[in-house]
Amino acid sequence: MANKMKLPSMIRDIASSIFKKPFTREYPAVRVEVPEGFRGRHILDPEKCISCGLCERDCPSKAIELVEVSGKRMPMFYLDRCIFCYQCAESCPRDAIRLSTVFELSTTDKEGLLVKPEEFIPQQPVTTKE
Amino acid sequence: MPIDLTLIARALIFPGFIFLLALALFFDWFERKVAARMQNRMGPTYTGPLGILQPVADYIKLLTKEDVIPRQVNKLLFTLTPVLAFSLFVFAMFYIPIDGSNVILNSSFEGDLILVIVLITIANFALFLSGWSSTNPYSGIGATRILTQFLGYDIPVIILALCPAFLAKSLSFVAIAAKQAIPFALLIPWSFALFIITLQAELEKDPFDIPHAETEIVGGYETEFSGRKLAFIKLSEDFQFLIGAALVTELFLGGPFGPVLFGPKEMWGAIWFVAKTLGVIFILEYIGNVSARLRIDQVVHSNWKILIPLAILSLALTITCEPLLRSIVS
Amino acid sequence: MAMFEEAVSILKDNLGNDVLECKTPKPRRAYILVKLGCHRDAISLLLKQYEQTGISTITGTDLGSEIELNYHMRCGGAVTIKNRVPKEKPRIKTITDLLPGAAFYEREVFDLLGVMFEGHPNLKRLLLPDNWPKGAYPLRKDWKPQDVKSGVSDSEKNSETNGGELKEATSIVNVVVGPQHPALHEPERFSFKVDGEVVVDVEPRLGYVHRGIEKAAEHLMFFQDVHLVERVCGICNAAHTTCFSQAVEDIGGIDVPPRALYLRTIVHELNRIHSHLLLLGVAGLLLGYEALFQHVWRDREPIMDLIEMITGNRLMTAFNTIGGVRRDLDPNAAGKIKKTLEEVKKRANFYKVVFKEDPTLRLRTEGVGVLSKSDALKLCVAGPVARGSGIDMDVRKDDAYAAYEEIPFNVISYKECDSWARLMVRAEEVLESIDIVIYALEHLPSGRFRVRVPRRQPEGEAVGRVEAPRGELIHYVKSDGTAYPYRVKIRSPTLANIISFPTMIRGGYVADIPAVLGSLDPCFSCTDRMVFLDTQNDRRWYWSLEEIKPKKAK
Ligand code: SF4
Ligand code: SF4
Repeated sequence: MANKMKLPSMIRDIASSIFKKPFTREYPAVRVEVPEGFRGRHILDPEKCISCGLCERDCPSKAIELVEVSGKRMPMFYLDRCIFCYQCAESCPRDAIRLSTVFELSTTDKEGLLVKPEEFIPQQPVTTKE
Repeated sequence: MPIDLTLIARALIFPGFIFLLALALFFDWFERKVAARMQNRMGPTYTGPLGILQPVADYIKLLTKEDVIPRQVNKLLFTLTPVLAFSLFVFAMFYIPIDGSNVILNSSFEGDLILVIVLITIANFALFLSGWSSTNPYSGIGATRILTQFLGYDIPVIILALCPAFLAKSLSFVAIAAKQAIPFALLIPWSFALFIITLQAELEKDPFDIPHAETEIVGGYETEFSGRKLAFIKLSEDFQFLIGAALVTELFLGGPFGPVLFGPKEMWGAIWFVAKTLGVIFILEYIGNVSARLRIDQVVHSNWKILIPLAILSLALTITCEPLLRSIVS
Repeated sequence: MAMFEEAVSILKDNLGNDVLECKTPKPRRAYILVKLGCHRDAISLLLKQYEQTGISTITGTDLGSEIELNYHMRCGGAVTIKNRVPKEKPRIKTITDLLPGAAFYEREVFDLLGVMFEGHPNLKRLLLPDNWPKGAYPLRKDWKPQDVKSGVSDSEKNSETNGGELKEATSIVNVVVGPQHPALHEPERFSFKVDGEVVVDVEPRLGYVHRGIEKAAEHLMFFQDVHLVERVCGICNAAHTTCFSQAVEDIGGIDVPPRALYLRTIVHELNRIHSHLLLLGVAGLLLGYEALFQHVWRDREPIMDLIEMITGNRLMTAFNTIGGVRRDLDPNAAGKIKKTLEEVKKRANFYKVVFKEDPTLRLRTEGVGVLSKSDALKLCVAGPVARGSGIDMDVRKDDAYAAYEEIPFNVISYKECDSWARLMVRAEEVLESIDIVIYALEHLPSGRFRVRVPRRQPEGEAVGRVEAPRGELIHYVKSDGTAYPYRVKIRSPTLANIISFPTMIRGGYVADIPAVLGSLDPCFSCTDRMVFLDTQNDRRWYWSLEEIKPKKAK
């Protein structure tokens, strides 16, 4: 058993690791860059939306509800149900839904999990926590 | 009767209990940090500078946790054995010269090497009992594994410990350590290498960490323990580790003896001791990190078929070469 | 492929009038409806002719007055042998005596659709809890979830399914591994009978992560189902979406642009690379080689970053869709991908050497968990498990899909049949996959990456097959001409492979359990997608090869 043994191949790798900087990314102390095109929190363009409701119909996890905001029905996103597939953005005929690279979505209350259309209308105070 | 203050101070503070505790926790941290670096990760980071207080924090956490005693266990053994194992290890540590003499001054005697090894064996038996008493199948398997492994590896440990003892013509740690102007590790490297490997098994480190192979038997013998008792078991392990490294230091690396640059001899003794033990821990950790865990049957086989014959051979070699070695030393 | 056409003509010639209908809508796909009961003749014909014939799964579909049973055979392609049994009296002869690997599939159909398989040695519930009301079959169309809420009761506990204990037990200890156990990353339970350190037997209990995806898929539109099947398994999500999209594209006769096929291949292979590296790392952890685990996972990270860059998420790719892929590849990205892959390739080469030579790793995996070639064929295992047992079987070669027809690569197989061989297969496949991705990038056709497809799909059925990282994955989709599928059946590779676990582990050591389990690379969230969870019921059953094998007397 012992005579046909070779020395472990990892020996050098492990020795050299001691002097290397750890690979760990020290998040959150060091920010993490996500690439463009990352599927994060939604951005709604209230100007473009025509209240057609296609996004609501096509969302596979029923995470969209059309709500009435200043006289117009617009989508509200429930991030707790959302699977970030961006089917909504794909289905929207007016490209009113875009993606953002915001990925830090943890909150301490359920309100924080809603993306409300009000947020994107400049005149109104923003209610959702960033 | 006048109370000997030095005695109490030595036993309790330096180099006694508190110093040993601090040392064990420090080694725990060092081991974790080194392992982490070998694996290219951070290791303890946030508790104190470089995370050095992490082990302390862990123990404080354990002490505040609920202490669960399962209904099925043997209560007496279950409660007693963690403390017993811990105190046995501490007791054994008292016979190891850290600052040039034993913790209790002048308690060194011819044969304390044997006493320490016996104490370690009994302490391991206590750990076995702790697993056995918890009547959990994982603990049961873990406990039997301790015993299987330990009984096997005790023999080569004793045989190999005899090599330096033979060279120093003494069975006391102080005498053996003091005799090493040239460390025995250089004189009898074969025994040194074998001793390190056997120690790896005694300390249940990879590739011999079979008794608590968590992907096989969860926590091994300590599965059922929680809170204070788990803290004691973990502390015992830390102390076992300390003793193991200390054994190598004393037997092969000249223990606390080294050049004194300035100031008191005791301080330098402690410094040399700690530095050498850290080196030993580094080697142990390195071996652990470049190997996978073996299986118990493979360990038993390699023990009886390879290690014991090799240990005997190395003792024979030491005895044969003794005159030659002696002439080198003097 | 010649072998496939030959197989179909052999079936047609020999069965003669028993073949009621035979459709071959595309190469390597055949749907043959035979007279009730003739499926056995058809399968034994195939078995006699081709050694590597195996069964992929059995789909049961409720057609109203009949239940259709599709035996998906793999034989140079997917030969689907159909049988229709009347719903009032759904009985059919078992095929477990011909192919022991069908045991689980028959039990699954028995459980979910209530078809009796006559002669099955151990026709017990596989998935549903014991106190599930009798006569409620969730995959039948007339079943309503409400039926169960009122129906489940402890009194209906089916004592039959409570497993037989080992009677002669003396020094045998029961060691339960899971549902929560460090060796398992997903909740499952294995109850091991252990004599000292030797494993005498094992009883598995699946079903802790059930989500009912097959049923749920019938209530979402086709394009939404892509997102649903993606969630069958996080790790091999690209395999699932590719497979499902292919099946639907076959139904709708949709031509996917070549660029999309190449892009699919790229993401699919990146998926395989990270899955295999994940497993190799986990194998290190399971064998107590923590440093190896950390290093492999460190080197897997660049692959995750690549996937994130290409698809928009590091794990859930949401890349495939029916008719192509959802994003084009940024032309600048190709260079970066290639550079990263070259780096990873160096590391992968190094790990191949580690797994090949490291003494302690070899000590732990060599000769452990042996699954002989004949057992592997009988039990119809798939993927790296089959290839580790010396069977050259890879859907990418045997039934080329996406761009695999045009991309050169080797099928890795080892003859050692043990855990080590299964790990080595994966270590080498990482290298092959890297080459595939690089080749695909270099030969990426230009043009469209997607065609728009209508929501409604014509009536029809199709089998999608891909080689997922863990083995052959098969989706069966049936459409009735609406926007919603009539039936979706998913057979993930782990269900095909887990059947071999008792064979591998019996007689091994306790310490071999993680080594063997790891080498199977089990993924229980795939397997469980159709398993029903029952938390109150502490049911166990006894599962052994003796039961899977045909009983001599019958
Ligand atoms: S990203 Fe997907 S799940 Fe989320 S709201 Fe849009 S369609 Fe729904
Ligand atoms: S699909 Fe687009 S336009 Fe239609 S409601 Fe949604 S956001 Fe508005």
